[in-house]
Amino acid sequence: MSTLLSELQRDALQELMNISMGQAANALARLIEAKITLSIPKIVMVSAYEFQQMFVTDQYWFTRQSFLGSVKGEVLTLLARAGTEAIGELMDYVLPLDDRSRKELLLELANILAGACLNGFSSQLALHAKLSMPTIFQPDTRQAESFRWSSTLLLEVEFQLEGTAFDSRIVICLEGGSVEVLIGKLNELLED
Amino acid sequence: MDLPRLHFQLNNRLPLGICVLNAEYQVLYWNDFFSDRTGQSLAAIQGQNLLEMFPAQSRYLKKKIDSVLVLNNASFSYWEHQPHVFPFSSSRPITGEETLMYQNIEFLPIESEDSSVHNVCLVVQDVTELASYFQAEQLLSAKLEQEGAELKALNEKLSMAQSQLLQSEKMAAIGQLAAGVAHEINNPIGFISSNLQTLQDYATRLLKLTEFYEKVVSKTGNDAYLAMQRDMQQRLQFGFVRQDLPDLLKESIDGIDRVSEIVKNLKAFSHVDNAQWQPADLVDGLENTLKIAANQLKYKVEIHRDYAEDLPQVYCQPNQINQVFLNLLVNAAQAMEHKGHLYLRAWQQNKDVCIEVRDTGPGISSEHMKRLFEPFFTTKPVGSGTGLGLSLSYSIVKKHHGEIQIHSTPGEGASFVVILPITGPEKTADLPGSEQLIS
Repeated sequence: MSTLLSELQRDALQELMNISMGQAANALARLIEAKITLSIPKIVMVSAYEFQQMFVTDQYWFTRQSFLGSVKGEVLTLLARAGTEAIGELMDYVLPLDDRSRKELLLELANILAGACLNGFSSQLALHAKLSMPTIFQPDTRQAESFRWSSTLLLEVEFQLEGTAFDSRIVICLEGGSVEVLIGKLNELLED
Repeated sequence: MDLPRLHFQLNNRLPLGICVLNAEYQVLYWNDFFSDRTGQSLAAIQGQNLLEMFPAQSRYLKKKIDSVLVLNNASFSYWEHQPHVFPFSSSRPITGEETLMYQNIEFLPIESEDSSVHNVCLVVQDVTELASYFQAEQLLSAKLEQEGAELKALNEKLSMAQSQLLQSEKMAAIGQLAAGVAHEINNPIGFISSNLQTLQDYATRLLKLTEFYEKVVSKTGNDAYLAMQRDMQQRLQFGFVRQDLPDLLKESIDGIDRVSEIVKNLKAFSHVDNAQWQPADLVDGLENTLKIAANQLKYKVEIHRDYAEDLPQVYCQPNQINQVFLNLLVNAAQAMEHKGHLYLRAWQQNKDVCIEVRDTGPGISSEHMKRLFEPFFTTKPVGSGTGLGLSLSYSIVKKHHGEIQIHSTPGEGASFVVILPITGPEKTADLPGSEQLIS
């Protein structure tokens, strides 16, 4: 990652992310009327192997959702398997969740979180990107080689719902070309 | 080019439902997709509350719309989860199998000049075709999976049948051999045995006669005769012969008795004599078998019996069932290397009689469990087990339309329960008789 972003650029991006994630958490908290805590966003430097290891877990469900605009990429959302009932209740779902309603809940949650993150992120940088419908992602059915990893930039933030076991991680992956757009925008900001 | 006119035309030609609401859920606009399907023109419903127009789904719609208004973020509805949000009829009313349209819906925020969100746009996509294709595919794959499983079960059955065929052929060959050998040996054993008896009788008489002559000689008081007798007896070591002769004969008779016992067992094993179907007391059979297996069991095994009283007789082939008991008892004995306990239990369960043989050996690991009845599968050292015992037992019990249940916790021993129907196999017509094993 250090080859892609200078330290200065990274700090700036992190700060921007922090603001936008705060807005995302705020929006979600308003919607479900519960307290949300979030981690400081990470611009993580991980190897292809580590990236792939992220999906080797039975603690999380995964969703993915592409976005298109002046920046392109995918948002991957990791949603804790524990505590989905609690958040389902907050979001007005009929309990206990069956397989279908759990999937619906996961997709809705992922969409809210990813949408809020991406919205905040792109409006801070005066970029625009539209999210498509999220779908459930089952990484175990895919070979790691098929990840087009080498040119992606990874921005990660964790949300936690207070008083429950639920937490989630949002990972924004930018395509190679989009990283350059991002760097350009960052430089504009830094020069101001 | 007249762009607004183009937009208007496109709006109404697109295969998408478009509906715009304000924050009070009032319809500001909907395109022909909506008016064609509801039969209500835009003019007729403009300003009406959408939630009131579709009360069945109002809770869901409200939740989605609120989420868009609060978060300023698009929301989605999937046909997999909410197939028919709007009660529109299928896009294939004549030939389609579905009666209602499957829909994907996007709820999009529409920003005003100050980028606050007051309006929401619903975009409805008809995915009936896709959904029915997907569902058909799922049905197909479920069917395939089921057929695959059936095929697999059939294959397993086939290979089981094949191995049992092989097994019974082997047993038939062994049986035939044993029967032949038993028959051939039986005759010479018969005359050897009776000759030995006669020989014993003659020997006794000869010895008595010798004693008589000794007495006569001693009565004469003739020293020369006495010396000759003593001298001759010493030369022939007669003292020892006299002592050893009865022992030799007795041992030989014991030996030949044992041989004829073995022959008898061999004949029993080949089922020449008694593969008859008859009512039999299973506990008696178990006890008799226990005596045969006594050699393997004594010293190291403590036997506990728990037999229910008044057990009914079971219609079966007693010799074959005893063979099953023997296998189970020997296995249990061999499982317990050092001292252990053997629990024998018999009880009635509905129309079956159950016999349990439980040991306190090391138990059976789950990987072995699967192969237990496989012919030639054995965990015993080479030479100790053929791997045929349990598979033979299995086929015998199956032939009786019964079953063998195994319970084992590794480290705590194993329990084998033989369950046999009291009345025997239902159809006596297709009973495999003894000839199956020896022919």
